[in-house]
Amino acid sequence: MTNVLEVRDLKTYFFTDEGVVKAVDGVSFAVERGKTLGLVGESGCGKSVTAMSISRLVSPPGRVVGGEVLLNGRNLVPLSDAEMRRVRGSQIAMIFQEPMTALNPVLEVGFQIAEAVLAHEKISKREAWLRAVDAMRAVSIPDAEKRAKDYPHQLSGGMRQRIMIAMALVCNPMLVIADEPTTALDVTIQAQILELLDSLRQKYNLSLILISHDLGVIAEVAETVAVMYAGKIVEIGPAMDVFHNPRHPYTQGLLQSIPRLGSSLQKKDRLDVIEGMVPNLLHLPDGCSFAARCHKKTVECTRSEIILEAISEQHEVRCIHA
Amino acid sequence: MREAVEPLLSVSHLKKYFPIRRGVLSRVAAHVKAVDDISFDIKKGETFGLVGESGCGKTTAGRAVLRLLEPDAGTIKFDGIDLRSLGPQELRRRRRDMQIIFQDPYASLNPRMTIRAIVGEPFVIHGTSGSDRDDQVATLLKTVGLDPSVMNRYPHEFSGGQRQRIGIARALALRPKLIVADEPVSALDVSIQAQIINLLADLQQQFGLTYLFISHAIPVIEHISTRIGVMYLGKLVEVGTSAQICLSPKHPYTQALLSAVPIPDPAAKKQRIVLTGDVPTPINPPTGCRFHTRCPIAVERCKIEEPPLRPLPDGRDTACHLV
Repeated sequence: MTNVLEVRDLKTYFFTDEGVVKAVDGVSFAVERGKTLGLVGESGCGKSVTAMSISRLVSPPGRVVGGEVLLNGRNLVPLSDAEMRRVRGSQIAMIFQEPMTALNPVLEVGFQIAEAVLAHEKISKREAWLRAVDAMRAVSIPDAEKRAKDYPHQLSGGMRQRIMIAMALVCNPMLVIADEPTTALDVTIQAQILELLDSLRQKYNLSLILISHDLGVIAEVAETVAVMYAGKIVEIGPAMDVFHNPRHPYTQGLLQSIPRLGSSLQKKDRLDVIEGMVPNLLHLPDGCSFAARCHKKTVECTRSEIILEAISEQHEVRCIHA
Repeated sequence: MREAVEPLLSVSHLKKYFPIRRGVLSRVAAHVKAVDDISFDIKKGETFGLVGESGCGKTTAGRAVLRLLEPDAGTIKFDGIDLRSLGPQELRRRRRDMQIIFQDPYASLNPRMTIRAIVGEPFVIHGTSGSDRDDQVATLLKTVGLDPSVMNRYPHEFSGGQRQRIGIARALALRPKLIVADEPVSALDVSIQAQIINLLADLQQQFGLTYLFISHAIPVIEHISTRIGVMYLGKLVEVGTSAQICLSPKHPYTQALLSAVPIPDPAAKKQRIVLTGDVPTPINPPTGCRFHTRCPIAVERCKIEEPPLRPLPDGRDTACHLV
């Protein structure tokens, strides 16, 4: 299998007045051609900053301070901004959470998609428009020719997200990063969009990074799952292993704390919880960042840096008690 | 057995329409039928979950029940009293028995007030004795799992989960009988959600609270509710026990809604009923059954005749011609 993307020891720090926030601190993973990596974690864990770092959308005071981002073997980190602009949109595309804020409210949606083509390819406006309409058809927007002339406010949330997906796909990227693409949508619309993303991935052999806080969404589409906590990957492996045999106490805690459909069969009054809250990234403790909330904690946990270790061929865990 | 218990809250034929004004004379051109004739009972000590997608009217229903939004029609009987017949003074006095917890813990706490002032405000409004107010606030903070020493701090110093605890302490201040919880955990992280859900369950036990719990998150609703009402476009389409609704839904909308919930298990077999299209507008809802435009089993009759909510043999109510 070929890796479309390889991220190696990526570090993105924010240099704030209060101190250095290590938002992403040594993250490594790979995405194979045609596969989906799910990046899951709670707010502030660094999953979005990881995505932004890959496509170089981190703005000051944040900066990628180390590591490599290899897209088809080519390291993107040393590229100039101009070179990176050519990569972004054509080879790497992004889909964001809020389609309303990601779209320009005063421009026709078809024009906005066409703009993405014109930015990367030397073709006429007419051709670009036709490509936009084709892309809208590909994401199952009915009446694409007509809808292309609509403004964002004339479309529903689900339709807007389809426009964002059309825009992401119009230049045939090899990697699509979708950051909470369905979080703002209703559950029945979410199901439609997830199904669409998955069918497009298969049809075009796309590699997909799906970022979500929702373990259900991740389980639906990801083949590989990376769980992030306080800027680091704490567990990574095939979805089956991570969901069925979670080895990091944080992953275990997360999976146990979510209410599940069908719970009325075995009515429990209380959910199992992870006590406490996420540590302040400005003042991270030594050793394991999760130790303060962990029921397996021992003195060794806070003595020195805990490394990500393989417990089976593809399953890695950052815990000395795993 | 349970039928003998008088409901704490009894809502019948509740309607709330929002006028849409147009033109220079601001004439009412149409109405958003946010809540369109819904009825349900909540027994003392139970949790009634109201679930549905955005725009289905669940939040409006919650507010109309408390008369935070004035209903256009229907009756709301709370603890034997018809709330709609009360004047402003009397309503205000009754409100101490009915409190609300809001979704957004950032918007629902005044950033310029200390925690002492926020949690103590209900005492001020309802004029209860002020001598031991700090003690009362301290007790409330302890009840929701916060250290009383936080009293002099301001909301921005707290995380989302802590703020939601502050909002809950405020709602508890006057020892209400009913709490309307409007998406109380939707803005919180997964691990914090579980903490707040547990807190709400503990408080219910401790104080004998009755909840109207509004959420779009079906697994959360199933976990916390005794009974569940499913809303679609301003109507209740199915009402039953948590197990009836979530394990064997009968209404095609409930079925589709449940099948769309992502299961946190990659091995889960997915038999999804993917609904086509979007939710129609509540300004001009479809004729007949409001769900017929997206319903996979709709027949001619569904387009013409509105199905009433009627009881099934197992005790639940469903509004569908074909069930």
